[in-house]
Amino acid sequence: MEVDAAKAIGAGIACLGMGGAGIGLGTIFGNYLAGALRNPSAADGQFGRLIFGFAVTEALGIFSLLVALLLLFT
Amino acid sequence: MLPATLKRTDTSSRPGEGVAVAGEKKPGKAGRTGPGSGDPQHAADDELERRRQRLEASLAARGRGEGDTGNAARSSGAVGYGQALRLSSEFIAGVAVGAGLGWFIDRLAGTSPWGLIVFLLLGFAAGVLNVMRSAGKIADAGARVPTPDRRED
Amino acid sequence: MANDPIHQFQIAKLIPIEIGGMDFSFTNSSAFMVATVAVSGAFLYLTTSSRGLVPSRLQSLSEMSYEFVANMLRDAAGSHGMKFFPMVFSLFMFVLVANLLGLFPYFFTVTSHIIVTFALALLVIGTVIVYGFMKHGFGFLKLFVPQGVPGILVPLVVLIEVISFLSRPISLSVRLFANMLAGHITLKVFAGFVTSLSAFGAVGVFGAILPLIMTVAITALEFLVAFLQAYVFAVLTCMYLNDALHPSH
Repeated sequence: MEVDAAKAIGAGIACLGMGGAGIGLGTIFGNYLAGALRNPSAADGQFGRLIFGFAVTEALGIFSLLVALLLLFT
Repeated sequence: MLPATLKRTDTSSRPGEGVAVAGEKKPGKAGRTGPGSGDPQHAADDELERRRQRLEASLAARGRGEGDTGNAARSSGAVGYGQALRLSSEFIAGVAVGAGLGWFIDRLAGTSPWGLIVFLLLGFAAGVLNVMRSAGKIADAGARVPTPDRRED
Repeated sequence: MANDPIHQFQIAKLIPIEIGGMDFSFTNSSAFMVATVAVSGAFLYLTTSSRGLVPSRLQSLSEMSYEFVANMLRDAAGSHGMKFFPMVFSLFMFVLVANLLGLFPYFFTVTSHIIVTFALALLVIGTVIVYGFMKHGFGFLKLFVPQGVPGILVPLVVLIEVISFLSRPISLSVRLFANMLAGHITLKVFAGFVTSLSAFGAVGVFGAILPLIMTVAITALEFLVAFLQAYVFAVLTCMYLNDALHPSH
């Protein structure tokens, strides 16, 4: 039983990593929006890079989610 | 890129105005110069007519612009709100389906934990694909390649 | 609990029916589904029964809803898609009227239960799959193989596309359900603040003005969300039907 409890606590701690990914996404989208408002004509061209940054950042958050899921379900 | 877009919006807005002028203004002028020119009632009517034409022209240009790009990031307010809800749920659904599928495969084949790992990552990729697809950006990915290069010059 | 925000989503059996050990009871959810169908059907029937050439206000409203869905479907799926118009229009009207009916106080919100929205989403995806295989045979599977992908990446991309396809009914149903659920809970919580604050006497009543304003504002927002979610549901239905009609994108 204690192992299960430790697993649940560990999963909770692992999910903290997703908060970091959330901060990173906020930075990315905020900076994109700031840049897009300064130069709207260039905004569409940078959308691909926005998604790339989003994917890379979110991937790290997904890793921590993965650790949490592994702790909970295996 | 910039001159091209400028030229395109210019030509796209011009036919709308041209149609409005040809279709609405000429009959109005022909009918109204006869009865009374200094009438304030008619002046108000003319004003209203002119505003209506401007609205029609701008509506036409706007509709054409939206149809052109299919770009939802440019629209604001309610549509943007709906778009945001759509994108996030699209992404989360991809990840959730990937994780669920991986867990299910693990249970069937007993390959724990590899199915969960692989399918969660695949689900993440599918989520990003969903987001890009619903943002309407995946079709013109090739067409946008020259733009960043020019901007870096 | 008077202020329990979940209480409004409880299913109550109005007429218990049991056939062969399975529960077929007529619940309040079923009652409001019947009401939704009745309201939307009666609205469309009564407003168009006069068939004026110059439409009255209500007739133009129902004509507008027709035009709205028809344009949406034509834009997304082309004129071939118009054979699905009855389905898309029924779905749109059902979701819209169910969402709007749910905004009345003491009414049950049909779309705030995931099983209802998931059944609707399964209907859409089932139609897409069945029609796609009927029309194109195994050519429908080309949907999962995008053009211009290098040979080595094909299995990976196909796997991703399959997961992406499977995530559609989930995202379609969860979006509608979560929005309605969250909106109604928020509404109820803020309305609960009003009553619990006003129990504190004069100062509490004065303080209750703020959550009351919030409640009014959120009600307006919920009307927007009710329409928006029905719209999004119908738009996505059109886009998925487009995949069934033209699988090789």
